[in-house]
Amino acid sequence: MKVSLNWLNDYVALPKDMDLKQLAFDLTMSTVEVESVTELARQFDGIVVGEIREVLPHPNADRLRVCKVDIADGQIHDIVCGGSNLAAGMKTVVACPGSFVRWHGEGEPVEIKNTKLRGVASFGMICASVEVGLSDLFPAQEEAEIMDLTAFDAPAGTPLAKALELDDVILEIDNKSMTNRPDLWGHYGIAREISALYNLPLKKFEPYVPGEVPAFPISIEDTDRCPRYIGVQMEGVCVRPAPFLIQSRIWRVGMRPINALVDITNYVMLAVGQPTHVFDSDNITDYICVRRAKKGEELLLLNDRTLSLSEDDLVIADSDGAVALAGVMGGAKDSVLPDTTKVILEVANFDAAGVRRTALRYDNRTEASARYEKAIDPDRCDLALSLAMELFSGLYPSVKVCAYADQYPRKLVKKELDVELDWLNRRLGKHIPNEEIRAKLELLGFEIGFTETAMHVVVPTWRSTGDVGIKADIMEEVARMYGYENFEPTSIVTSFDGAINQLETDLLRRIKEYLAFRCGLQEVFTYPWMQDVYVNAILKDTEGILKLSTPPAPDESMIRSSLLPNLCRAVVENERYFNEFGIFEEAQVFQDGGYRAVYDEREELPRQRRNIAAAFAGNAEDVSGLFRRAKGVVENMSRMTHMESLTFRRMEKPYWADDTVWLNVYLGDEKVGDLALLSGKASMAVGIKNLAVVFFEIDADSLKPLRSRTNEFHHLAEYPLIDYDLSMLFDREIKWEQISACALKKKNRESFLQDVQFVDEYKGAQIPAGKKSVTIRLTIGSSEKTLKSEEIEKCADSVIRQLEKELQGQLRK
Amino acid sequence: MKEKLQKLLAEGEAAILRTKNETELQEVKGTILGKQGTLTELLKEIPKLAADLRPEMGRVVNEAKTKLNSLIDSRREELKLKAAEVPADFDYTIPGVAPLMGGLHPITQMRYDLDDAFRSMGFEIYQEDDITSELYAFDKLNFPPNHPARESMDTYWLEGHDTGDAFRKLCLRPHLTGGSVRYMQTHKPPYRFVYPGRVYRNETTDARHERAFFQYEALIVDRDFTFTAGKVMIKSILSKVFGRDVPVRMRAGFFPFVEPGFEIDMGCLVCGGKGCSVCKHVGWIEIMPGGTPHPNVLRAAGLDPDEYTGFYVNIGLDRLVMMRYGVDDVRLFHSADLRFLKQFH
Repeated sequence: MKVSLNWLNDYVALPKDMDLKQLAFDLTMSTVEVESVTELARQFDGIVVGEIREVLPHPNADRLRVCKVDIADGQIHDIVCGGSNLAAGMKTVVACPGSFVRWHGEGEPVEIKNTKLRGVASFGMICASVEVGLSDLFPAQEEAEIMDLTAFDAPAGTPLAKALELDDVILEIDNKSMTNRPDLWGHYGIAREISALYNLPLKKFEPYVPGEVPAFPISIEDTDRCPRYIGVQMEGVCVRPAPFLIQSRIWRVGMRPINALVDITNYVMLAVGQPTHVFDSDNITDYICVRRAKKGEELLLLNDRTLSLSEDDLVIADSDGAVALAGVMGGAKDSVLPDTTKVILEVANFDAAGVRRTALRYDNRTEASARYEKAIDPDRCDLALSLAMELFSGLYPSVKVCAYADQYPRKLVKKELDVELDWLNRRLGKHIPNEEIRAKLELLGFEIGFTETAMHVVVPTWRSTGDVGIKADIMEEVARMYGYENFEPTSIVTSFDGAINQLETDLLRRIKEYLAFRCGLQEVFTYPWMQDVYVNAILKDTEGILKLSTPPAPDESMIRSSLLPNLCRAVVENERYFNEFGIFEEAQVFQDGGYRAVYDEREELPRQRRNIAAAFAGNAEDVSGLFRRAKGVVENMSRMTHMESLTFRRMEKPYWADDTVWLNVYLGDEKVGDLALLSGKASMAVGIKNLAVVFFEIDADSLKPLRSRTNEFHHLAEYPLIDYDLSMLFDREIKWEQISACALKKKNRESFLQDVQFVDEYKGAQIPAGKKSVTIRLTIGSSEKTLKSEEIEKCADSVIRQLEKELQGQLRK
Repeated sequence: MKEKLQKLLAEGEAAILRTKNETELQEVKGTILGKQGTLTELLKEIPKLAADLRPEMGRVVNEAKTKLNSLIDSRREELKLKAAEVPADFDYTIPGVAPLMGGLHPITQMRYDLDDAFRSMGFEIYQEDDITSELYAFDKLNFPPNHPARESMDTYWLEGHDTGDAFRKLCLRPHLTGGSVRYMQTHKPPYRFVYPGRVYRNETTDARHERAFFQYEALIVDRDFTFTAGKVMIKSILSKVFGRDVPVRMRAGFFPFVEPGFEIDMGCLVCGGKGCSVCKHVGWIEIMPGGTPHPNVLRAAGLDPDEYTGFYVNIGLDRLVMMRYGVDDVRLFHSADLRFLKQFH
C-alpha cells in the first residue's frame, strides 16, 4: 500500500523537519514494514512551468515550431517543438537542460541537453504529459499534444512539482505486514499509529448528521453477512472530472482518477480504509435489499463479466434483481453513466469471510474486497460517511440529500480485558510505569483503567474484529509502543538435568556421514512427488500410493512410497554430465494404509517411514565391481555406525531388480530393505543410456542403534600369522559362500587355520569353459608358537583337499 | 712389497669409491679380496719372505685387508642410501589423488551446524512425520477457520483426504509448528527443542520460491521467559553459523501462532549494513519469524498459558544457505544436480 505524507498531514501534524528515514524505521520496528520512501518531487527536478510568448514557424521543418518561452529566469528561450496545441499565452511544461524525461513515456529517463533541431538551437524541451509520467492526470486527446497548465494558478518559472502539489513523499508499505490490521488499510489508520509513536494529536471526524429527510427503503435479510448498511440518496450531482488535488492524491498512491463520483469513493477508501460505492439512483428500482443470491442468479459486473451466482454470495438487490456483488464489485446496470445526476451512496459493512469466499469463487479480487477480507469494524462507516458527505458538498455545492437510512442491526461489541500488572512485568522482563502505558495506549484508542494489581482495557472497535482479543495482545501493544529496541537482552536461565541422549537421531546422522564421507556418496534432495514414468518403471503397481489433490504437474500426483523412483530420475538427469557417481537420499515414504492416531484419537495418519536409499551408477561392463561396492557399503554400515548388524538373504526379488543380481537386507528375521542391480527393462523404460545402476533402499526407522560402542579388544598376535593365497578352479555355479563355508570346516582346534578371505574371481581366456578361478586367502597361525613351513603346508593342503572333495575344486598350478 | 701394498691400497680405495652399484662393488671386492684377488695374492707371497719380515708384513697386509673391507661396507651403505633416493626430476606439481568425494547436501550441512549449536545449549532434536492433519497444521495453531493458508492453492491436500473434519483432512505439512504441538503434548515442560524438517507449499516456483523447502524450528517453553531472552538465543546461533558477530533486530510481525510476533532481521553481511542490492538497500535481511507461542497454541498442547510462556523461531534453512554461499536460485536445492551439490564438499 502506498501512503502519501501530505495526506497523512491532514490527520496528524507531522513536524516540518521530520526525518523520513527515522519515520520509516519507527513504523517498521513497531507497526508495519516500510519497504521504500520516495520523494516524488525528485523526478520533476529541473522541470518548470513555462509561458509561451510567441509561436514561430521553423525555417527548415513544416511540422516543427520555434516557441519563445518565458521561464522567469530573465531571458526568453527558443524551444523547438512539434506540439499540436502550441499557442501564444499558453502555460506549459518545460524540461530544462539537466532534467530527465522519458521519450514518449517509454524506456529509461533521458537527460535533456541544449541541442540543435534541424539547424535551430533549442533550450530544453516542451513536454507532453506522458513524457513526465503524468498521463493519468493529464490525459492527452491526441498524440502530439503538450501539457496545458493555463488553468493553473502558477506563474512561469514555478517548479512543476510545486505547481501541481506533487512535492510529496510516498511510503510503500508491505501489505503482508498488515494483514492482521484492518485498521491500517487507509491513511487515517497509519496516522493514528504515527500519533501514538510521536505523541501527536490525531484529527477527529465530525459525525455526519442527516437533516430531516425521508428514509430510504433498505432491508438487510442476512444480518450476519451485513451488520450495517447506510444508503444516502442525493441529487444535483453530475459526471465530470474531480478537482485536481483529489485526482492528484488518488494518483499519487497508485490509483487512476476516473470521474468525480468514482474518485470520491476511492478517496474515502484510501483515506479511512472503508470501501464505499455509488449507484445511479435512476437505475435502482423501489428499494435496496441486502440478501443472498439465488442459485444461478445472473449478474453483469462493471468489468463486463457475467456471473452465475451461488447461494453463498451476498448481493445488493432492488426489486428487479441483483445489482451489485456485496463488498466485491458493482454491477453494470446501476453504474454511474455520463448522464447521471442522482446517486445513492453506499457505506456498508460486510462479513470478511463471505466477501473472501465470493471474491475467490469468481477470481475477482478488488481493492474493496481486499479490505473487507481483513474484517473492518462497522463503526468505521461513520468516518467514511462523514468524509464522503464533506466531499460531496465540497464538489457539488448544489447537492441535495433526498433520502437516507442507516440500518445497523448488529452492533460490534468492544472487547474488554483485564491484564494483571505482575504478569505484564514478568513477561516484559521490565517494569513500565502505568502512566507511560496509559499515554501510549490511549493514543491508539484504548480506554485504560488501573487498579492496584491490574489494568482494565477497553479495546477500540477498529481493533476488536479479531486483532486484539487476549492479554498477550495488550502486552504486544505496550512492548511495540515502548520500542522493542529499548528492551535490554536478558540471559537465558537453564537447569541441567542430564546429558541429551538421542540414539536414533544420532544414528541417522552417523549413517548419512558414513555414506557421504566414508563411502563417497553425494546426498541429494528430491521432491516427495514422483513422476508417473519412474513409478511405472520401478514399482510393481500404484496400489497403496497416496496422491495429491492439486499436484504440481498432472503426471506428478503420486507421493513417494519408495525413494527409488526419484533417485532413478536423479541418475537419468546426472548421466548427461557424469559417467560414474554415487548418490543417496534420506526422506520419508508414505503408504495409504496402517492408519493410526498417536496424538489425538480422532486423527488418522497414514503409515510414514523414514528410508535411506542410494544409487551407484557406473560402467555397465563392470557390474560385479559396482555391485560389490554397493554391497560393501551396506555390509559395513552396521560396524561403522554402531547399530545392530544387517545381513543379506535371497527371499523376494524386488520388482525393479535384475533377475540374478539382487539381495534382500535383513535385520535379524525382519526384512528391512533391498540391494540390487536395476533391471535392463526398467533402465530402458526410464531412459538410462549407458550406465549400470545398483540401488539399495533401507527402512531407517527399523535400524537399531547400539547403546554404546561394542568393539572388542584382542591381544596382538604373539606369533606370526601367515597369509597363504591359493587359486582354484570351480564350476561357475559354485558361490563364494559355499567355498568359504567349506574351507572354514577346517578351522578347528587341531588346525592352524584362522580365517578364509575372498581375494578375487577370474573368468578369463586361460580358464576352461564353465569354470572360474577363485583366489582364496587363508590366514594360518598359532597363538602358542611360530609355525614351521611343514605345518603351514599341511594346513593349506587340508583345506585344498576339502575343497576338492566337496566342491570339485582343482588347484591351479 | 710395501710399495706394492701401498699402490694396491690406493688403487683399491679409488676403485671402491668409483663403484655405482652393488654388482660393481662385488666385482671390485672380488678383484682385490677374492680367491685370486690382488691382496689375496699378496698374502700368499708372505710365506716366501724372510722370516723376520713375515710378522711385520702379515700385520700390514691384514690391516690393509681390514681397511678395504670396511671401505667396501661403508660404500655399500652409501650406495643403498643413494638407491633409496628419489630422482631429482620428480614432479611435485602433479595434483594429489583425491580421497573419496562424497558429501552432505548444503542444507543438511547447515542443519547439522545448527544442531550442534543448539545441542551445546541443551536443546533436544526432534523429528516428525511429513503428512499431518488440518487439525495440527491449522486448528491447533490458532489459524482462523477461513485462513487463506488452508486453501488448496496454498497447501498440498491428499486426494481422498481433502474434505470433512479437520482431523480427517490430510496434507503435506505446510510448516513445522503443528509438529511442535505434538512434541509438547507428549513431553513434560519445560521444553527446549529444535525441529528440522521439510515443508511443502503449493506455489508457483521461481528463483526465490519453492514447493518444498527446509525449516528449522526452535522452541523454548518455560515459566516467565521473556522475549528479550529470545534475542540472545538468535544472536548466539547466527554468530555461530556465520562465524562472526551478527547484528539482530526484532520488529513487529504477525503470525497466528505467536503473540506477540516478530519479524527477525539480521544485519546484511554483504554490505555490513550500509545498504546494497542483496538487502534492498535497507541494511537488514528478514530471516525468520519468531515470537511468544500464542496462548491457544499452549492450550492445544495442554499447558496453562498463565503459567507457561516461551520463545519460538522458525529459521528458513534454504534462505540461510543461499546467503551463506550466494546461491541465487532456490530450486537448485531439490535439483539433485551433482554439478551444484559437489561445490559444497
